[in-house]
Amino acid sequence: MKVLVCVKQTFDTEAKIELKDGKIADAGINLIINPYDEVAVEGAIQLKEKGIAKEIVIVAAGSDKAMDAIRTALAMGADRGILVQQDTAADEFARAVALAEAIKAENPNIILAGHVAADDGSSQVPTRVAEILGLPHVNVITAVEIAGDKATCTSEADGGTQVTEVSLPAVISSQVSWNEPRYPSMKGIMAAKKKPVATAAAAAAENKVKILEFSLPPAKAAGIKLEDEPEVCATKLAEWMKNTVKVEVK
Amino acid sequence: MAANFAINNIRDFEFIIGEWLPTERVFNYPQFADYYSKDDIKSVLGPILKMCKEVIEPTNDDGENHPIKFENGKVTTPPTFGPLFHQLQSEGWGTSNIDKAPDAMVMPEMLHMAVWELIGAANPTFMPYVLLTTGAADLIQSFGDEKLKQMFLPKMMDGTWSGTMCLTEPSAGSDVGDILSRAYPTDDPRIFKIKGNKIFITAGDNDFTENIIHLYLARIEGARPGTGGISLFVVPKYWVNEDGSFSDNDFQTTGVEHKMGQAGSVTAALAAGENDGCRGWLLGNDPREHEGKGQGMAQMFQMMNLARMETGHMALSCIINAFCNARDNAKERVQGRLLTNPKAGRVAIINHEDIKRTLLMGKAHIEAIRAMMYRVYLAFDQRERDPDPEVRKAASDLIEMTTPLCKAYPSDEGWWLISEAIQSYGGYGYCEEYPVAQIARDMKIYSIWEGTNYIQSMDLVGRKMQMKGGSLFGAWVKEMVDFCEANKGNEALAKEFAILDKALKAYQEMLKVYAGYAKTNFSLVPLYSRRVLTITSQLYCGRQILDQAVLADKKAKELGADHYDYNFYSGKVASAKYYLHNVVPNVWSVCEIIADGDSSALEVPLEAFEYM
Repeated sequence: MKVLVCVKQTFDTEAKIELKDGKIADAGINLIINPYDEVAVEGAIQLKEKGIAKEIVIVAAGSDKAMDAIRTALAMGADRGILVQQDTAADEFARAVALAEAIKAENPNIILAGHVAADDGSSQVPTRVAEILGLPHVNVITAVEIAGDKATCTSEADGGTQVTEVSLPAVISSQVSWNEPRYPSMKGIMAAKKKPVATAAAAAAENKVKILEFSLPPAKAAGIKLEDEPEVCATKLAEWMKNTVKVEVK
Repeated sequence: MAANFAINNIRDFEFIIGEWLPTERVFNYPQFADYYSKDDIKSVLGPILKMCKEVIEPTNDDGENHPIKFENGKVTTPPTFGPLFHQLQSEGWGTSNIDKAPDAMVMPEMLHMAVWELIGAANPTFMPYVLLTTGAADLIQSFGDEKLKQMFLPKMMDGTWSGTMCLTEPSAGSDVGDILSRAYPTDDPRIFKIKGNKIFITAGDNDFTENIIHLYLARIEGARPGTGGISLFVVPKYWVNEDGSFSDNDFQTTGVEHKMGQAGSVTAALAAGENDGCRGWLLGNDPREHEGKGQGMAQMFQMMNLARMETGHMALSCIINAFCNARDNAKERVQGRLLTNPKAGRVAIINHEDIKRTLLMGKAHIEAIRAMMYRVYLAFDQRERDPDPEVRKAASDLIEMTTPLCKAYPSDEGWWLISEAIQSYGGYGYCEEYPVAQIARDMKIYSIWEGTNYIQSMDLVGRKMQMKGGSLFGAWVKEMVDFCEANKGNEALAKEFAILDKALKAYQEMLKVYAGYAKTNFSLVPLYSRRVLTITSQLYCGRQILDQAVLADKKAKELGADHYDYNFYSGKVASAKYYLHNVVPNVWSVCEIIADGDSSALEVPLEAFEYM
């Protein structure tokens, strides 16, 4: 069984984001593999360790910098990679078209991805890829069992869980609680240097979204400090919660 | 509260290995060429930095909350230390990097040491288990026969077994020639019965490896007295039979030390052969067949020299983490107003002059010491793998010359530097709720371990300066003189080069005076040796950080102030300026003290110390 994992190179979640001339100033920002995609890579490796997957292929669309994300996944244990070279300004539609084209050529049994990217948070690409390829899509999974050509996926749902059986091939996107991604070992990092990574040109697709402006969230307002006897503070706090925050007590 | 791991980037490593040092040749050695390049520093250190934050730092808490216990003859270590040891060793971050097999997957030493620097900052009390195992395995690899190598190395490299070195005894510490441990021949000429007691054995016992392989110094009956007759033995906690099974080896832990720091690191007292049942394999020659001369000390010195580098490096790890914590606190803590603009309101303390000075002092020392150490780690790779014998020889000479500096200078300066980090917290720094107090406690041992810093200083002045008739040392000093000469035209750093030049001249004059003391009043040599070591280190560190500044200044100017990396490079220049203007002048100050030759410490009656 061939498992393909889509990964994205994103900003380090601890990086301080700044704007310059209305755009995100990305020079010098540390880039990492999208943490949600990292969970998908780990899920694929675990499928291989169980003997279900025979080969794990990593696909990323973006600039040459995305090669680092592919190498990270290879160091974790994936077998080979494909870098679809694409302008970083591609929107979710164009990105999904590019990825779908590469995936089609690979003809995998399962396509895994994180359910959202840590940078733009749009949560669209896996769904769009499934739509373009005409495949079923199960989202935010926290567990998957493979039997024959079917996958049984456990997903988060409001107030509980949802179990979905889906025919393969399918696109399955992961929630972070699926697993704890492993750290690449030293030998894994070395081995990754010798694993093959192909490059491909992105399929042509026009962006459907035009970004007009970026802005940072407004600065957090100062808090309220209550300085009085404890019972007076408690009363004031309760009044503030009721009248200002509008907390409702059921 | 244990120490936070506050290192948040690897930029200086990228500069040192990727930009400053001439590492291209190392990356092209056959062992590395297919796997590494200058561009791969992040791919190795990035995951380790993450692992330090997420996996290793929490184990540091464990060391404090569950310190070493010794009950009913059994040692208990902090519960997370075992899993961490197995993870790091089995994944190739530890001992296996010494593997000399042609197909071994190993890192360049300079990169490996960067990995250890980060892990050491995240949990310094854990590192001895890895360091000692590595040193012990290195000795077996160097001096063991094939049988011993096959028996021990694979399991020491993958974390199944650990290792130690056993030198110190109740009656012999720095004076190791006086050890009382004895070895008695058996029917097998390679196997001896061992009997003796060892103390202060770091990582001497644990509860997470199947076996512990002690590299044990003892004297074979009939061997010479003193260090010349000592031999080295492989003494496992459990005897390893031909089929790989274990038998009892009459090797017991009799106690553990209760220390001011390093709560998670075992410091054991060990007893070998109390029931005449302890055996060990001899490494090297039988002294009875070589005029009583044993190879043990020379062999052990291979491990000691590595351990000395590592000890200095662990001190550096602690200094860095203390200063990163101090920096973060200084950014967050709002207190006081600027003396130059009091109406502007309260500010974070990082804006105050004295805190900025404290932080730059820490940054300058860290970068100067790091520059010295990685210059030497580059030489480790060259000595091991360079095809040119001249390059290997030059690398070996540099390592010999600088080992006492790399051990002693960081571990001497670390104590007061971390004290300054504590100071920057105000009263909170003295409280255990904040991380820097623990770092100070954990760090202090490094000036004592692996030969006290006085021993390092005597190694420098008594051995290293005299090697090959002093020609090595002479060439080493001349390289610094040539460096100043070659940069005479550097206008941007002209003042700093003038300082280094002045310090070098004073140092060279001092050397003549000091050599004279060796002939006229020898007691002045050990009396001043530690200060000679300090200023020798400050000279060498000053030379290295100034070399970095030359490159950083050029890059900062090329990039311009708007570039995202400008602050990194201009910060490097600031570090060098601070170090040259505020630290290196100590060289001529101490040179004057040595020339003055005050001998009051020699002449004072011992009874005078009673009146304090």
